[in-house]
Amino acid sequence: MDTSKKTRAITAKTFALLLTVVLLGIMLFPFMVMLVSMFKSPEEIYHIPPYWFPKNPTIKNFFLVWNTIPLAMYFKNSLIIALGTVLLNTGISIPAGYAIARLHFPGKKIIMYAFLVTQMFSPVVVVISLFKIVIKIHFIDTYLSVIIANAVFTTPFVIWMLNGYFSGIPKGIEDAARIDGCTRVGALWRVILPIAAPGLVTTIIYTFIYGWNDFIFSLTFLQSGEKWPLTIGLYQFVGRFAVQWEQLLSAAFMAILPVLILFFIVEKQLVSGLAGGAVKE
Amino acid sequence: MGDTVLAARKRRLGGEARLAYALLFPAVFLMVIFMVYPIIYVFIISLFKTDKLARIKNFAGLGIYASLLSSKDTWVVIGRSLLWTFTSVATKTLFGVIIALVLNVKYRGRKIARLLFIIPWASSIPISVMLWRWVLHNEFGLLNHTLRITGIMQNPPVWLGQSTTAFLSCLWVDIWIGIPFMALVFLAAMQAVPQTLYEAAEIDGASKAAQFRYVTLPGIAAILLIATLLSSLWTFNDFNTIYILTNGGPAGSTNILITYVYQNSFEWLKWQKASALSVFTFIILSTVSVLYSRIYFKKEEM
Repeated sequence: MDTSKKTRAITAKTFALLLTVVLLGIMLFPFMVMLVSMFKSPEEIYHIPPYWFPKNPTIKNFFLVWNTIPLAMYFKNSLIIALGTVLLNTGISIPAGYAIARLHFPGKKIIMYAFLVTQMFSPVVVVISLFKIVIKIHFIDTYLSVIIANAVFTTPFVIWMLNGYFSGIPKGIEDAARIDGCTRVGALWRVILPIAAPGLVTTIIYTFIYGWNDFIFSLTFLQSGEKWPLTIGLYQFVGRFAVQWEQLLSAAFMAILPVLILFFIVEKQLVSGLAGGAVKE
Repeated sequence: MGDTVLAARKRRLGGEARLAYALLFPAVFLMVIFMVYPIIYVFIISLFKTDKLARIKNFAGLGIYASLLSSKDTWVVIGRSLLWTFTSVATKTLFGVIIALVLNVKYRGRKIARLLFIIPWASSIPISVMLWRWVLHNEFGLLNHTLRITGIMQNPPVWLGQSTTAFLSCLWVDIWIGIPFMALVFLAAMQAVPQTLYEAAEIDGASKAAQFRYVTLPGIAAILLIATLLSSLWTFNDFNTIYILTNGGPAGSTNILITYVYQNSFEWLKWQKASALSVFTFIILSTVSVLYSRIYFKKEEM
Protein backbone atom coordinates (compact mmCIF):
# COMPACT_ATOMS: atom_id res chain seq x y z
CA MET A 1 0.00 0.00 0.00
CA ASP A 2 2.74 2.39 1.02
CA THR A 3 4.86 1.53 -2.00
CA SER A 4 1.94 1.88 -4.40
CA LYS A 5 1.34 5.34 -3.00
CA LYS A 6 4.98 6.16 -3.52
CA THR A 7 5.01 4.97 -7.13
CA ARG A 8 1.83 6.96 -7.72
CA ALA A 9 3.59 10.05 -6.40
CA ILE A 10 6.59 9.37 -8.63
CA THR A 11 4.46 8.91 -11.76
CA ALA A 12 2.60 12.12 -10.90
CA LYS A 13 5.93 13.94 -10.70
CA THR A 14 7.21 12.48 -13.95
CA PHE A 15 3.97 13.33 -15.66
CA ALA A 16 4.08 16.90 -14.33
CA LEU A 17 7.66 17.27 -15.51
CA LEU A 18 6.85 15.97 -18.98
CA LEU A 19 3.85 18.25 -19.29
CA THR A 20 5.97 21.18 -18.14
CA VAL A 21 8.49 20.56 -20.90
CA VAL A 22 5.79 20.38 -23.57
CA LEU A 23 3.98 23.49 -22.31
CA LEU A 24 7.23 25.43 -21.99
CA GLY A 25 8.09 24.44 -25.55
CA ILE A 26 4.85 26.10 -26.67
CA MET A 27 5.11 29.16 -24.44
CA LEU A 28 8.75 29.91 -25.17
CA PHE A 29 8.66 29.08 -28.88
CA PRO A 30 9.13 32.63 -30.24
CA PHE A 31 11.92 33.31 -27.76
CA MET A 32 13.74 30.13 -28.75
CA VAL A 33 13.41 31.24 -32.36
CA MET A 34 14.82 34.64 -31.40
CA LEU A 35 17.70 33.12 -29.44
CA VAL A 36 18.91 30.97 -32.34
CA SER A 37 18.14 33.39 -35.17
CA MET A 38 19.92 36.41 -33.74
CA PHE A 39 23.23 34.55 -34.13
CA LYS A 40 22.66 33.86 -37.82
CA SER A 41 24.16 35.69 -40.77
CA PRO A 42 21.76 36.99 -43.47
CA GLU A 43 22.61 33.97 -45.65
CA GLU A 44 21.65 31.60 -42.86
CA ILE A 45 18.48 33.34 -41.69
CA TYR A 46 17.14 33.68 -45.25
CA HIS A 47 17.92 30.10 -46.20
CA ILE A 48 15.26 27.90 -47.80
CA PRO A 49 14.39 25.55 -46.25
CA PRO A 50 15.06 27.22 -42.88
CA TYR A 51 16.84 25.39 -40.09
CA TRP A 52 17.02 25.89 -36.32
CA PHE A 53 20.64 26.13 -35.26
CA PRO A 54 23.13 28.53 -36.85
CA LYS A 55 26.00 26.70 -38.57
CA ASN A 56 28.44 29.56 -38.05
CA PRO A 57 27.10 31.50 -35.09
CA THR A 58 28.02 35.17 -35.23
CA ILE A 59 27.54 38.10 -32.87
CA LYS A 60 27.87 40.64 -35.69
CA ASN A 61 24.16 41.54 -35.60
CA PHE A 62 24.50 43.02 -32.13
CA PHE A 63 26.93 45.58 -33.52
CA LEU A 64 25.52 46.13 -37.00
CA VAL A 65 22.01 46.99 -35.83
CA TRP A 66 23.14 50.17 -34.08
CA ASN A 67 24.02 51.62 -37.50
CA THR A 68 21.10 50.18 -39.45
CA ILE A 69 18.60 51.93 -37.17
CA PRO A 70 19.22 54.66 -34.54
CA LEU A 71 18.95 52.13 -31.75
CA ALA A 72 20.81 54.22 -29.16
CA MET A 73 18.34 57.04 -29.72
CA TYR A 74 15.39 54.66 -29.32
CA PHE A 75 16.86 53.36 -26.06
CA LYS A 76 17.31 56.92 -24.82
CA ASN A 77 13.71 57.81 -25.75
CA SER A 78 12.30 54.71 -24.09
CA LEU A 79 14.26 55.55 -20.96
CA ILE A 80 13.02 59.15 -20.91
CA ILE A 81 9.42 58.06 -21.35
CA ALA A 82 9.64 55.27 -18.76
CA LEU A 83 11.44 57.40 -16.15
CA GLY A 84 9.14 60.36 -16.79
CA THR A 85 6.13 58.11 -16.28
CA VAL A 86 7.61 56.85 -13.01
CA LEU A 87 8.33 60.38 -11.72
CA LEU A 88 4.94 61.84 -12.55
CA ASN A 89 3.01 58.78 -11.47
CA THR A 90 4.82 58.43 -8.15
CA GLY A 91 4.53 62.15 -7.49
CA ILE A 92 0.76 62.14 -7.78
CA SER A 93 0.05 58.65 -6.47
CA ILE A 94 1.86 58.78 -3.11
CA PRO A 95 -0.16 61.67 -1.68
CA ALA A 96 -3.40 60.30 -3.13
CA GLY A 97 -2.72 56.79 -1.83
CA TYR A 98 -1.92 58.16 1.61
CA ALA A 99 -5.11 60.23 1.71
CA ILE A 100 -7.21 57.19 0.84
CA ALA A 101 -5.44 54.89 3.27
CA ARG A 102 -5.27 57.20 6.28
CA LEU A 103 -7.66 60.14 6.13
CA HIS A 104 -11.40 60.37 6.53
CA PHE A 105 -13.21 62.60 4.10
CA PRO A 106 -16.56 62.74 2.35
CA GLY A 107 -16.58 61.23 -1.12
CA LYS A 108 -13.87 58.65 -0.47
CA LYS A 109 -15.99 55.72 -1.65
CA ILE A 110 -16.95 57.53 -4.84
CA ILE A 111 -13.34 58.29 -5.67
CA MET A 112 -12.25 54.71 -5.07
CA TYR A 113 -15.11 53.42 -7.19
CA ALA A 114 -14.26 55.89 -9.96
CA PHE A 115 -10.67 54.61 -9.95
CA LEU A 116 -11.92 51.07 -10.46
CA VAL A 117 -14.25 52.03 -13.29
CA THR A 118 -11.41 53.68 -15.23
CA GLN A 119 -9.76 50.26 -15.50
CA MET A 120 -12.43 49.38 -18.01
CA PHE A 121 -11.37 51.88 -20.63
CA SER A 122 -8.84 51.06 -23.27
CA PRO A 123 -6.32 53.77 -24.10
CA VAL A 124 -7.47 53.37 -27.70
CA VAL A 125 -10.95 54.79 -27.14
CA VAL A 126 -9.58 57.70 -25.13
CA VAL A 127 -6.77 58.44 -27.55
CA ILE A 128 -9.09 60.10 -30.09
CA SER A 129 -10.11 62.96 -27.86
CA LEU A 130 -6.79 62.89 -26.03
CA PHE A 131 -5.16 63.57 -29.38
CA LYS A 132 -7.29 66.70 -29.78
CA ILE A 133 -6.43 67.88 -26.27
CA VAL A 134 -2.75 67.24 -26.81
CA ILE A 135 -2.85 69.32 -30.02
CA LYS A 136 -4.78 72.10 -28.32
CA ILE A 137 -2.27 72.47 -25.49
CA HIS A 138 0.65 72.19 -27.95
CA PHE A 139 1.95 68.96 -26.46
CA ILE A 140 1.89 67.07 -29.74
CA ASP A 141 5.20 65.38 -30.58
CA THR A 142 6.58 65.89 -27.08
CA TYR A 143 7.75 63.30 -24.58
CA LEU A 144 5.48 64.99 -22.06
CA SER A 145 2.30 64.01 -23.94
CA VAL A 146 3.25 60.33 -23.82
CA ILE A 147 4.48 60.58 -20.22
CA ILE A 148 1.26 62.19 -18.97
CA ALA A 149 -0.93 59.67 -20.78
CA ASN A 150 0.99 56.70 -19.38
CA ALA A 151 1.14 58.18 -15.88
CA VAL A 152 -2.59 58.81 -15.87
CA PHE A 153 -3.39 55.31 -17.09
CA THR A 154 -1.22 53.68 -14.40
CA THR A 155 -2.41 55.93 -11.57
CA PRO A 156 -5.56 54.05 -10.50
CA PHE A 157 -3.76 50.73 -10.11
CA VAL A 158 -0.79 52.31 -8.32
CA ILE A 159 -3.00 54.22 -5.88
CA TRP A 160 -4.85 50.97 -5.27
CA MET A 161 -1.61 49.16 -4.45
CA LEU A 162 -0.22 51.99 -2.31
CA ASN A 163 -3.47 52.15 -0.37
CA GLY A 164 -2.86 48.53 0.54
CA TYR A 165 0.74 49.11 1.64
CA PHE A 166 -0.03 52.25 3.66
CA SER A 167 -3.03 50.65 5.37
CA GLY A 168 -0.81 47.79 6.49
CA ILE A 169 1.45 50.10 8.53
CA PRO A 170 0.35 50.33 12.19
CA LYS A 171 -1.15 53.70 13.05
CA GLY A 172 0.84 53.79 16.31
CA ILE A 173 4.12 54.36 14.48
CA GLU A 174 2.74 57.40 12.74
CA ASP A 175 1.15 58.74 15.96
CA ALA A 176 4.47 58.41 17.76
CA ALA A 177 6.21 60.46 15.08
CA ARG A 178 3.52 63.11 15.28
CA ILE A 179 3.83 63.34 19.08
CA ASP A 180 7.53 63.93 18.49
CA GLY A 181 6.55 66.98 16.50
CA CYS A 182 6.25 65.72 12.94
CA THR A 183 3.46 67.13 10.78
CA ARG A 184 1.29 64.67 8.89
CA VAL A 185 3.20 65.27 5.71
CA GLY A 186 6.47 65.02 7.64
CA ALA A 187 5.39 61.70 9.11
CA LEU A 188 4.42 60.45 5.64
CA TRP A 189 7.84 61.43 4.30
CA ARG A 190 10.04 60.30 7.18
CA VAL A 191 8.15 57.35 8.68
CA ILE A 192 5.56 55.89 6.31
CA LEU A 193 7.50 55.98 3.05
CA PRO A 194 10.62 54.21 4.38
CA ILE A 195 8.46 51.45 5.84
CA ALA A 196 6.43 51.14 2.63
CA ALA A 197 9.61 51.21 0.49
CA PRO A 198 9.42 47.59 -0.74
CA GLY A 199 5.85 48.15 -1.90
CA LEU A 200 6.84 51.44 -3.46
CA VAL A 201 9.58 49.67 -5.43
CA THR A 202 6.92 47.37 -6.88
CA THR A 203 4.74 50.21 -8.09
CA ILE A 204 7.76 52.10 -9.45
CA ILE A 205 8.91 49.08 -11.44
CA TYR A 206 5.36 48.48 -12.64
CA THR A 207 5.05 52.02 -14.01
CA PHE A 208 8.55 51.85 -15.50
CA ILE A 209 7.62 48.70 -17.42
CA TYR A 210 4.31 50.24 -18.50
CA GLY A 211 6.10 53.31 -19.85
CA TRP A 212 8.84 51.22 -21.50
CA ASN A 213 6.24 49.09 -23.28
CA ASP A 214 4.03 51.97 -24.39
CA PHE A 215 2.90 51.58 -27.96
CA ILE A 216 -0.41 53.33 -28.61
CA PHE A 217 0.38 56.78 -27.17
CA SER A 218 3.82 56.98 -28.79
CA LEU A 219 2.36 55.75 -32.07
CA THR A 220 -0.28 58.48 -32.01
CA PHE A 221 1.45 61.46 -30.41
CA LEU A 222 5.06 61.18 -31.55
CA GLN A 223 5.26 62.06 -35.20
CA SER A 224 8.93 62.78 -35.71
CA GLY A 225 11.26 59.80 -35.65
CA GLU A 226 13.68 61.46 -33.20
CA LYS A 227 11.30 60.89 -30.29
CA TRP A 228 10.30 57.30 -31.03
CA PRO A 229 10.85 54.77 -28.26
CA LEU A 230 12.06 51.22 -28.96
CA THR A 231 8.58 49.81 -29.48
CA ILE A 232 7.75 52.25 -32.28
CA GLY A 233 11.26 52.31 -33.71
CA LEU A 234 11.34 48.53 -34.07
CA TYR A 235 7.75 48.49 -35.36
CA GLN A 236 8.63 50.94 -38.13
CA PHE A 237 11.68 48.80 -38.93
CA VAL A 238 9.53 45.68 -39.22
CA GLY A 239 7.18 47.56 -41.52
CA ARG A 240 9.92 48.30 -44.04
CA PHE A 241 9.95 46.39 -47.30
CA ALA A 242 13.36 44.81 -46.69
CA VAL A 243 13.81 44.11 -43.02
CA GLN A 244 17.09 42.69 -41.79
CA TRP A 245 15.39 40.27 -39.44
CA GLU A 246 18.63 38.93 -38.00
CA GLN A 247 19.42 42.44 -36.81
CA LEU A 248 15.91 43.17 -35.66
CA LEU A 249 15.91 40.03 -33.50
CA SER A 250 19.15 41.05 -31.80
CA ALA A 251 17.67 44.50 -31.13
CA ALA A 252 14.49 42.88 -29.79
CA PHE A 253 16.58 40.79 -27.43
CA MET A 254 18.34 43.88 -26.08
CA ALA A 255 15.03 45.74 -25.72
CA ILE A 256 13.30 42.89 -23.89
CA LEU A 257 16.08 42.01 -21.45
CA PRO A 258 15.82 45.02 -19.07
CA VAL A 259 12.05 44.68 -18.58
CA LEU A 260 12.33 40.95 -18.15
CA ILE A 261 14.76 41.35 -15.26
CA LEU A 262 12.67 44.08 -13.62
CA PHE A 263 9.52 42.04 -14.02
CA PHE A 264 10.99 39.03 -12.23
CA ILE A 265 11.71 41.24 -9.20
CA VAL A 266 8.10 42.35 -8.71
CA GLU A 267 6.17 39.49 -10.27
CA LYS A 268 4.71 38.10 -7.02
CA GLN A 269 3.50 41.44 -5.68
CA LEU A 270 2.04 42.31 -9.08
CA VAL A 271 -0.01 39.15 -9.27
CA SER A 272 -1.49 39.57 -5.80
CA GLY A 273 -2.10 43.28 -6.47
CA LEU A 274 -3.89 42.58 -9.75
CA ALA A 275 -6.06 39.93 -8.19
CA GLY A 276 -7.33 42.58 -5.76
CA GLY A 277 -5.48 41.22 -2.75
CA ALA A 278 -7.71 38.15 -2.87
CA VAL A 279 -4.59 36.01 -3.22
CA LYS A 280 -2.35 36.10 -0.19
CA GLU A 281 1.35 35.39 -0.43
CA MET B 1 -18.18 70.64 27.43
CA GLY B 2 -19.44 67.87 25.24
CA ASP B 3 -20.18 70.55 22.70
CA THR B 4 -16.62 71.82 22.58
CA VAL B 5 -15.22 68.32 22.16
CA LEU B 6 -17.61 67.75 19.28
CA ALA B 7 -16.77 71.09 17.76
CA ALA B 8 -13.06 70.37 18.10
CA ARG B 9 -13.59 67.03 16.46
CA LYS B 10 -15.55 68.60 13.69
CA ARG B 11 -12.82 71.17 13.17
CA ARG B 12 -10.23 68.46 13.03
CA LEU B 13 -12.29 66.44 10.59
CA GLY B 14 -12.69 69.52 8.43
CA GLY B 15 -8.95 70.01 8.47
CA GLU B 16 -8.43 66.35 7.73
CA ALA B 17 -10.81 66.45 4.79
CA ARG B 18 -9.12 69.58 3.47
CA LEU B 19 -5.73 67.88 3.70
CA ALA B 20 -7.14 64.80 1.98
CA TYR B 21 -8.52 66.85 -0.91
CA ALA B 22 -5.22 68.70 -1.23
CA LEU B 23 -3.31 65.41 -1.38
CA LEU B 24 -5.73 63.95 -3.90
CA PHE B 25 -5.87 67.05 -6.08
CA PRO B 26 -2.91 66.42 -8.44
CA ALA B 27 -3.96 62.84 -9.22
CA VAL B 28 -7.64 63.67 -9.60
CA PHE B 29 -6.89 66.80 -11.62
CA LEU B 30 -4.76 64.94 -14.17
CA MET B 31 -7.22 62.06 -14.34
CA VAL B 32 -10.15 64.38 -14.96
CA ILE B 33 -8.36 66.26 -17.75
CA PHE B 34 -6.67 63.32 -19.46
CA MET B 35 -9.12 60.51 -18.86
CA VAL B 36 -12.61 61.55 -17.72
CA TYR B 37 -12.91 64.56 -20.00
CA PRO B 38 -11.69 62.62 -23.07
CA ILE B 39 -14.25 59.93 -22.36
CA ILE B 40 -17.05 62.49 -22.20
CA TYR B 41 -15.63 64.24 -25.24
CA VAL B 42 -15.86 61.04 -27.27
CA PHE B 43 -19.63 61.07 -26.69
CA ILE B 44 -19.79 64.69 -27.83
CA ILE B 45 -17.77 64.13 -31.02
CA SER B 46 -20.09 61.27 -31.95
CA LEU B 47 -22.98 63.74 -32.14
CA PHE B 48 -21.30 66.10 -34.60
CA LYS B 49 -20.05 66.11 -38.15
CA THR B 50 -16.30 66.62 -38.13
CA ASP B 51 -13.67 67.64 -40.66
CA LYS B 52 -10.50 65.68 -41.39
CA LEU B 53 -8.72 67.27 -38.43
CA ALA B 54 -11.43 66.13 -36.04
CA ARG B 55 -12.76 69.67 -35.63
CA ILE B 56 -16.43 69.76 -34.78
CA LYS B 57 -18.63 71.22 -37.53
CA ASN B 58 -22.42 70.95 -37.28
CA PHE B 59 -24.70 69.07 -34.95
CA ALA B 60 -25.86 65.75 -36.36
CA GLY B 61 -27.76 64.23 -33.45
CA LEU B 62 -27.88 60.49 -33.06
CA GLY B 63 -27.82 59.88 -36.81
CA ILE B 64 -24.46 58.13 -36.78
CA TYR B 65 -25.70 55.59 -34.27
CA ALA B 66 -28.69 54.77 -36.44
CA SER B 67 -26.53 54.29 -39.51
CA LEU B 68 -23.97 52.24 -37.61
CA LEU B 69 -26.61 49.98 -36.12
CA SER B 70 -28.10 49.34 -39.55
CA SER B 71 -24.73 48.61 -41.11
CA LYS B 72 -23.72 45.00 -41.49
CA ASP B 73 -20.03 45.82 -41.03
CA THR B 74 -20.64 47.07 -37.50
CA TRP B 75 -22.35 43.89 -36.45
CA VAL B 76 -19.67 41.74 -38.05
CA VAL B 77 -16.98 43.58 -36.07
CA ILE B 78 -18.97 43.49 -32.82
CA GLY B 79 -19.63 39.80 -33.31
CA ARG B 80 -15.97 39.16 -34.00
CA SER B 81 -14.98 41.12 -30.87
CA LEU B 82 -17.25 39.00 -28.73
CA LEU B 83 -16.07 35.76 -30.35
CA TRP B 84 -12.46 36.95 -29.91
CA THR B 85 -12.96 37.77 -26.22
CA PHE B 86 -14.90 34.65 -25.33
CA THR B 87 -12.64 32.18 -27.14
CA SER B 88 -9.50 33.84 -25.90
CA VAL B 89 -10.51 34.10 -22.23
CA ALA B 90 -11.81 30.53 -22.19
CA THR B 91 -8.56 29.20 -23.66
CA LYS B 92 -6.39 31.31 -21.37
CA THR B 93 -8.33 30.05 -18.37
CA LEU B 94 -8.00 26.44 -19.48
CA PHE B 95 -4.24 26.72 -20.07
CA GLY B 96 -3.87 28.72 -16.88
CA VAL B 97 -5.54 26.06 -14.77
CA ILE B 98 -3.50 23.27 -16.40
CA ILE B 99 -0.19 25.07 -15.88
CA ALA B 100 -1.11 25.97 -12.30
CA LEU B 101 -2.02 22.34 -11.57
CA VAL B 102 1.28 21.16 -13.03
CA LEU B 103 3.30 23.72 -11.08
CA ASN B 104 1.44 22.77 -7.92
CA VAL B 105 3.03 19.30 -8.05
CA LYS B 106 6.23 19.30 -6.00
CA TYR B 107 8.83 18.16 -8.52
CA ARG B 108 12.42 19.32 -8.89
CA GLY B 109 12.87 22.35 -11.10
CA ARG B 110 9.36 23.68 -10.76
CA LYS B 111 10.65 27.00 -9.43
CA ILE B 112 12.64 27.53 -12.62
CA ALA B 113 9.70 26.33 -14.71
CA ARG B 114 7.50 28.91 -12.97
CA LEU B 115 9.89 31.71 -13.90
CA LEU B 116 10.12 30.52 -17.49
CA PHE B 117 6.34 30.40 -17.85
CA ILE B 118 6.12 34.11 -17.01
CA ILE B 119 8.37 35.24 -19.87
CA PRO B 120 5.64 35.93 -22.48
CA TRP B 121 3.88 38.28 -20.06
CA ALA B 122 7.08 39.79 -18.71
CA SER B 123 8.73 40.74 -21.98
CA SER B 124 7.74 43.84 -23.88
CA ILE B 125 4.43 42.87 -25.46
CA PRO B 126 4.63 44.96 -28.64
CA ILE B 127 8.07 43.51 -29.29
CA SER B 128 6.95 39.92 -28.62
CA VAL B 129 4.20 40.39 -31.19
CA MET B 130 6.84 41.47 -33.70
CA LEU B 131 8.75 38.25 -32.89
CA TRP B 132 5.61 36.31 -33.84
CA ARG B 133 5.56 38.00 -37.23
CA TRP B 134 8.92 36.42 -37.90
CA VAL B 135 7.98 33.08 -36.35
CA LEU B 136 4.87 32.93 -38.56
CA HIS B 137 6.76 33.97 -41.69
CA ASN B 138 5.70 31.79 -44.57
CA GLU B 139 9.09 31.00 -46.12
CA PHE B 140 11.67 31.61 -43.40
CA GLY B 141 9.59 31.19 -40.25
CA LEU B 142 10.57 28.35 -37.95
CA LEU B 143 6.98 27.52 -37.00
CA ASN B 144 6.02 26.11 -40.38
CA HIS B 145 9.42 24.47 -40.69
CA THR B 146 8.96 22.77 -37.31
CA LEU B 147 5.41 21.70 -38.16
CA ARG B 148 6.74 20.10 -41.35
CA ILE B 149 9.72 18.26 -39.91
CA THR B 150 7.76 16.91 -36.94
CA GLY B 151 5.02 15.77 -39.29
CA ILE B 152 2.33 17.67 -37.39
CA MET B 153 1.32 19.43 -40.62
CA GLN B 154 2.58 18.48 -44.07
CA ASN B 155 1.33 21.66 -45.71
CA PRO B 156 1.04 24.39 -43.11
CA PRO B 157 -0.90 27.47 -44.27
CA VAL B 158 0.38 30.97 -44.98
CA TRP B 159 -0.78 32.02 -41.53
CA LEU B 160 -1.18 35.75 -42.01
CA GLY B 161 -2.26 35.47 -45.65
CA GLN B 162 -5.85 34.30 -45.34
CA SER B 163 -8.75 35.58 -43.25
CA THR B 164 -9.36 32.54 -41.09
CA THR B 165 -5.76 31.62 -40.34
CA ALA B 166 -4.84 35.28 -39.80
CA PHE B 167 -7.62 35.60 -37.24
CA LEU B 168 -6.52 32.36 -35.57
CA SER B 169 -2.94 33.61 -35.47
CA CYS B 170 -3.94 36.88 -33.79
CA LEU B 171 -6.17 34.98 -31.40
CA TRP B 172 -3.35 32.62 -30.50
CA VAL B 173 -0.85 35.42 -29.87
CA ASP B 174 -3.35 37.19 -27.60
CA ILE B 175 -3.98 33.91 -25.75
CA TRP B 176 -0.25 33.29 -25.47
CA ILE B 177 0.31 36.72 -23.87
CA GLY B 178 -2.53 36.19 -21.39
CA ILE B 179 -1.77 32.65 -20.20
CA PRO B 180 1.03 33.48 -17.69
CA PHE B 181 -1.14 35.85 -15.65
CA MET B 182 -3.88 33.24 -15.40
CA ALA B 183 -1.43 30.50 -14.44
CA LEU B 184 0.20 32.61 -11.71
CA VAL B 185 -3.06 33.78 -10.20
CA PHE B 186 -4.50 30.26 -10.14
CA LEU B 187 -1.30 28.83 -8.72
CA ALA B 188 -1.35 31.37 -5.88
CA ALA B 189 -5.01 30.59 -5.23
CA MET B 190 -4.36 26.84 -5.23
CA GLN B 191 -1.51 27.21 -2.78
CA ALA B 192 -3.82 29.15 -0.46
CA VAL B 193 -6.25 26.21 -0.23
CA PRO B 194 -5.60 24.60 3.19
CA GLN B 195 -3.71 21.31 2.85
CA THR B 196 -5.91 19.77 5.58
CA LEU B 197 -8.89 19.83 3.19
CA TYR B 198 -7.00 17.55 0.80
CA GLU B 199 -5.97 15.26 3.65
CA ALA B 200 -9.58 15.00 4.80
CA ALA B 201 -10.69 14.24 1.24
CA GLU B 202 -7.96 11.60 0.95
CA ILE B 203 -9.17 9.90 4.13
CA ASP B 204 -12.71 9.90 2.75
CA GLY B 205 -11.31 8.05 -0.26
CA ALA B 206 -11.85 10.84 -2.79
CA SER B 207 -10.04 10.39 -6.10
CA LYS B 208 -7.72 13.11 -7.49
CA ALA B 209 -10.46 14.14 -9.90
CA ALA B 210 -12.98 14.39 -7.07
CA GLN B 211 -10.50 16.40 -5.01
CA PHE B 212 -10.10 18.83 -7.89
CA ARG B 213 -13.87 19.11 -8.32
CA TYR B 214 -14.81 19.48 -4.65
CA VAL B 215 -11.74 21.05 -3.00
CA THR B 216 -9.61 22.90 -5.56
CA LEU B 217 -12.37 24.37 -7.72
CA PRO B 218 -14.44 25.89 -4.88
CA GLY B 219 -11.17 27.12 -3.36
CA ILE B 220 -10.24 29.12 -6.44
CA ALA B 221 -13.76 30.11 -7.56
CA ALA B 222 -13.59 33.73 -6.33
CA ILE B 223 -10.22 34.27 -7.97
CA LEU B 224 -11.43 32.58 -11.14
CA LEU B 225 -14.17 35.17 -11.37
CA ILE B 226 -11.92 38.19 -10.80
CA ALA B 227 -9.22 36.88 -13.12
CA THR B 228 -11.63 36.13 -15.96
CA LEU B 229 -13.25 39.57 -15.58
CA LEU B 230 -9.87 41.33 -15.76
CA SER B 231 -8.84 39.11 -18.63
CA SER B 232 -12.09 39.83 -20.51
CA LEU B 233 -11.48 43.57 -20.25
CA TRP B 234 -7.85 43.25 -21.37
CA THR B 235 -8.69 40.88 -24.20
CA PHE B 236 -11.57 42.95 -25.52
CA ASN B 237 -9.28 45.99 -25.39
CA ASP B 238 -6.20 44.30 -26.86
CA PHE B 239 -4.99 46.62 -29.58
CA ASN B 240 -1.31 45.76 -29.92
CA THR B 241 -1.63 42.16 -31.09
CA ILE B 242 -3.89 42.75 -34.06
CA TYR B 243 -2.46 46.13 -35.01
CA ILE B 244 1.11 44.81 -35.11
CA LEU B 245 0.40 41.37 -36.54
CA THR B 246 -2.09 42.13 -39.31
CA ASN B 247 -3.36 45.71 -38.83
CA GLY B 248 -6.85 44.29 -39.21
CA GLY B 249 -6.10 42.65 -42.55
CA PRO B 250 -6.36 40.90 -44.88
CA ALA B 251 -9.27 43.08 -46.04
CA GLY B 252 -10.45 43.96 -42.54
CA SER B 253 -11.03 40.32 -41.67
CA THR B 254 -9.17 40.43 -38.34
CA ASN B 255 -10.52 43.74 -37.05
CA ILE B 256 -12.11 43.80 -33.62
CA LEU B 257 -13.89 46.89 -32.29
CA ILE B 258 -10.77 48.40 -30.75
CA THR B 259 -8.63 48.18 -33.88
CA TYR B 260 -11.61 49.24 -36.01
CA VAL B 261 -11.92 52.38 -33.87
CA TYR B 262 -8.27 53.21 -34.41
CA GLN B 263 -8.45 52.56 -38.14
CA ASN B 264 -11.54 54.71 -38.55
CA SER B 265 -9.98 57.57 -36.63
CA PHE B 266 -6.28 57.82 -37.31
CA GLU B 267 -6.16 56.10 -40.69
CA TRP B 268 -9.45 57.02 -42.35
CA LEU B 269 -10.08 60.22 -40.36
CA LYS B 270 -13.76 59.33 -39.80
CA TRP B 271 -13.77 60.80 -36.32
CA GLN B 272 -17.50 60.81 -35.76
CA LYS B 273 -17.86 57.16 -36.68
CA ALA B 274 -14.82 56.19 -34.59
CA SER B 275 -16.23 58.04 -31.58
CA ALA B 276 -19.61 56.37 -31.89
CA LEU B 277 -17.87 52.99 -32.12
CA SER B 278 -15.94 53.88 -28.95
CA VAL B 279 -19.26 54.49 -27.22
CA PHE B 280 -20.27 50.96 -28.25
CA THR B 281 -17.18 49.60 -26.49
CA PHE B 282 -18.12 51.53 -23.33
CA ILE B 283 -21.61 50.03 -23.42
CA ILE B 284 -20.38 46.48 -24.01
CA LEU B 285 -17.68 46.65 -21.32
CA SER B 286 -19.98 48.17 -18.69
CA THR B 287 -22.54 45.47 -19.37
CA VAL B 288 -19.91 42.78 -18.91
CA SER B 289 -18.63 44.39 -15.69
CA VAL B 290 -22.11 44.74 -14.21
CA LEU B 291 -22.94 41.12 -15.02
CA TYR B 292 -19.71 39.99 -13.39
CA SER B 293 -20.22 42.02 -10.24
CA ARG B 294 -23.75 40.57 -9.97
CA ILE B 295 -22.33 37.04 -10.01
CA TYR B 296 -19.52 38.03 -7.68
CA PHE B 297 -21.73 39.56 -5.01
CA LYS B 298 -24.20 36.70 -5.24
CA LYS B 299 -21.30 34.35 -4.50
CA GLU B 300 -20.21 36.50 -1.56
CA GLU B 301 -23.69 36.22 -0.05
CA MET B 302 -23.70 32.44 -0.32
